[in-house]
Amino acid sequence: MFRLRTTLLILAVGLAACAPAAPQAASTPVAATEPATVTSAPNLPEPTATETPAPVEISGSLTIYSGRSEALIQPVLDAFQAKYPKVEILLKAGSNSAMANALIEEQANPQADVFITTEMFTAQSLAQKGIFQSYLPAGAEALPAEFVSAERAWVGLTRRARVIMYNADLVTPEELPTSIFDLTDPKWKGQVAAAGSTNGGMQAQVAAMRKLIGEEATAEWLKGLIANEVTFFGGHTDVRKAVGAGEFKLGLVNHYYYHLQKAEGSNVGVIYPDQGEGQIGLFSNITAAAIVKGAKNLPAAQALLDFLVSPEGQKLFAEGNYEYPLLPGVALREGVAPLETFRLAEIDIPSTALDLDATFKLIETVGLP
Amino acid sequence: MSSSTQPFSFPLKPFSISPRLALAAGLVALFVAVPLIYIFLRALGANPEDWQRLLQTRLWRLMGNTLALVAAVTSGTLVIGVGMAWLTERTDLPGRKAWRWMLALPLAIPAYIGAILHLALLRPRGGIIPQWLETTFGFPVPTPSPLGFWGAAFILTAFMFPYVYLLSGAAFRSQHAALEEAARALGRTPWQTFWQVTLPAMRPGLLAGALLVTLDVLAEYGTVALLRYETFSSAIFAQLYGRYDRSAASILSGVLVSLAMLVLWAEIQLQGQARFTQMEGNWRPAPLAPLGGWKFPALLLVSVVVSISLLIPLLVLFLWSIQAVLDPQTLAQVVRTGSQGFARFAWNSLWTSALAALLAVTLSLPVARLSARYPSRLSRLLARLCQVGYAIPGVVIALSLVLLVNRFFPILYATPLLVVIAYVLRHMPQAVRASESALGQLSASLEEASRTLGRTSLQTLFQVTLPLILPGLLAGGALVFLTSLKELPATLLLRPAGFDTLAVRVWMWASDGFYIQAAPAALLLVLVSAFPLSFLLRREQMFR
Repeated sequence: MFRLRTTLLILAVGLAACAPAAPQAASTPVAATEPATVTSAPNLPEPTATETPAPVEISGSLTIYSGRSEALIQPVLDAFQAKYPKVEILLKAGSNSAMANALIEEQANPQADVFITTEMFTAQSLAQKGIFQSYLPAGAEALPAEFVSAERAWVGLTRRARVIMYNADLVTPEELPTSIFDLTDPKWKGQVAAAGSTNGGMQAQVAAMRKLIGEEATAEWLKGLIANEVTFFGGHTDVRKAVGAGEFKLGLVNHYYYHLQKAEGSNVGVIYPDQGEGQIGLFSNITAAAIVKGAKNLPAAQALLDFLVSPEGQKLFAEGNYEYPLLPGVALREGVAPLETFRLAEIDIPSTALDLDATFKLIETVGLP
Repeated sequence: MSSSTQPFSFPLKPFSISPRLALAAGLVALFVAVPLIYIFLRALGANPEDWQRLLQTRLWRLMGNTLALVAAVTSGTLVIGVGMAWLTERTDLPGRKAWRWMLALPLAIPAYIGAILHLALLRPRGGIIPQWLETTFGFPVPTPSPLGFWGAAFILTAFMFPYVYLLSGAAFRSQHAALEEAARALGRTPWQTFWQVTLPAMRPGLLAGALLVTLDVLAEYGTVALLRYETFSSAIFAQLYGRYDRSAASILSGVLVSLAMLVLWAEIQLQGQARFTQMEGNWRPAPLAPLGGWKFPALLLVSVVVSISLLIPLLVLFLWSIQAVLDPQTLAQVVRTGSQGFARFAWNSLWTSALAALLAVTLSLPVARLSARYPSRLSRLLARLCQVGYAIPGVVIALSLVLLVNRFFPILYATPLLVVIAYVLRHMPQAVRASESALGQLSASLEEASRTLGRTSLQTLFQVTLPLILPGLLAGGALVFLTSLKELPATLLLRPAGFDTLAVRVWMWASDGFYIQAAPAALLLVLVSAFPLSFLLRREQMFR
């Protein structure tokens, strides 16, 4: 009985949520609905005292192309939506390159307002093609300068480290790899999972490695992975689940996939690779957002970018997805190792972005699945 | 469905070919052919360097992979399809009527949903079955890998064999008893009779079924992508999805479409001769072979097939759906994802598919009318041009439409209409065939009588022709609706932001590993597909 009632209730709520919300939009002017009450996270040190100014008119539909997978961006968009209930968010989530392709094709006929990506090379490369309009979100001055594009075409959101996660039931601490180059070691043959060549994180890693160790060595590494029968999945969620289930011993992923899998109760561990003397250091990717040139809903697009770099938005990324917020002073989620403790591989973003085509050629030549 | 001539027609030259009709048919054929021609032009115009690179790296491997899968699935579906058809049509298998339905209904389950289930059940260690085995026995029990060539061949066979089943079932039924009796009288054993007489007499039907399966395998994206077996379709999709290089995608598409055109050409050659025997004169059905002691093995075999391709998938989807509804967190995701509600994407599925069905049937009318009433080289050519949709996989249609529309009709770009257009292009052949066969069965003299009695040609169309051929048109529409509902790759690539369908939702969730979340949408998709399918099946002799 109870169950039936809840089901009906849920159905009713669901239907209500689906009903086209046409009439209310026209009547009331906005302003009043702007909740000053949603002021973010009380215990956070506020780095910039910029309280979002009451927006002029934030409504209408906001089209977002996201290279971040839907499951990872939706909670943040939901929070934005809660703040601006009159905005209807239209999300298209896919691979970075699929979204970038669409943006390039649509340049004369722009459809999207905002682009969100999982690594900044794509953002920078699109910026070089003139896809974006410049906008410096409120509070973005507080972000480290290297993560805001010089032309203000895009703004960095979060950082994620490229790590190796392992199934602690299957691997002993002594035999753990310490470097991504260990993944080509025959002792891991058939035991490693990674994301394939359509994945932005993987593409960015290849691009960065090309820059750091050169074309030849990168090709060598990729061929080594293929020869070692690494299984390449479409995305990292598959990788983490497979490692968590023990289908593979090791997985090359972004660091938060380790945390997400651990939170699901799997006995998994993490290695921040290449920290030794003479090793190349830890790779990391910067996620970024940009406003498309010709965006039809500029106020909402700007409000979204403001929100994403605000302490509130940054906290959502840090808390919900274990990422490293770029805004100084936003606390990491408990259990996330601070990046300062690692030696990072340093990559020049603009010049790597210029070489993106060569990266794709390399991926194709070695035949990365 | 056979397009035999009408019983009391006589050679007539009623009206000269109507230029309006010819023009309309020509425009339809043009509309259908343009994306194809465009892709060929792009492929041929691609940089020779790109051709070189593809030839050196991937082209031959892809060709090998694709052809191997085609060969495996085609032979698999032939064996299972013919075997099952023989059991339900020519033996005294108990419960034949129910088995018939259960053997045809897998057509309502898109193969990629089968692949999702297959993966969830069988994934090494992570899958439900291996985990269950491990907890039961206390140690990991090796299970066959669901991935790669064999996984893909298994799933595609399991969900595509009904094509062959239906065609060979019809062929078994229509065979004249005298055929086998003569063979037996001439001293052949039943076994020899089957191989030397029965089966050869069904050859056209079997071949037609096999070619349809081949075209479907060439176009399949979801299954091979999930099970990680690289074919042309999945390579093109990956190219569009993960690269910036359109020219490689065009080249691969050009090669794939050429391959499919060859198959389609063979299939069209077979059209019309799909039936050897005529159900007329002293026709009587062949007697049922008594199974005797083989009854139980036969029942077991049919049960296994039906379980794999229908019952287990439905059961798992059902259990998962219940699980999804009971878990508040999952339910919250299912019922409302962002700006999208469950009802909204279910509705999107319905209206796009229904509109595609309506458009395809409407557009098929001039072509079908021209070829049925004014047979000529031109009308035949137009009708055949309208069949090319069969040979253009969803990924290729998407690529072609993106490039074409963005360039010449930017107003259509990023609208749901583009998705509908893709469905119409891809599924037009089914509408054309249905309309042709419906018109072919209608005697032209009825229309002539109407004209003689003073009706204009338009009046005749609406007052005489359409009411009479309506059932046939509905069947064509149902087929287009069914296949559009299931369509995945073109929808994925062409949908505007925030526009999801059931198929897209299922795919997005399942490819992120959220199987339970995807189950309600998958179940709904299957159930909705079952309606047009059962309507179509009821029209067939076998299901009356």
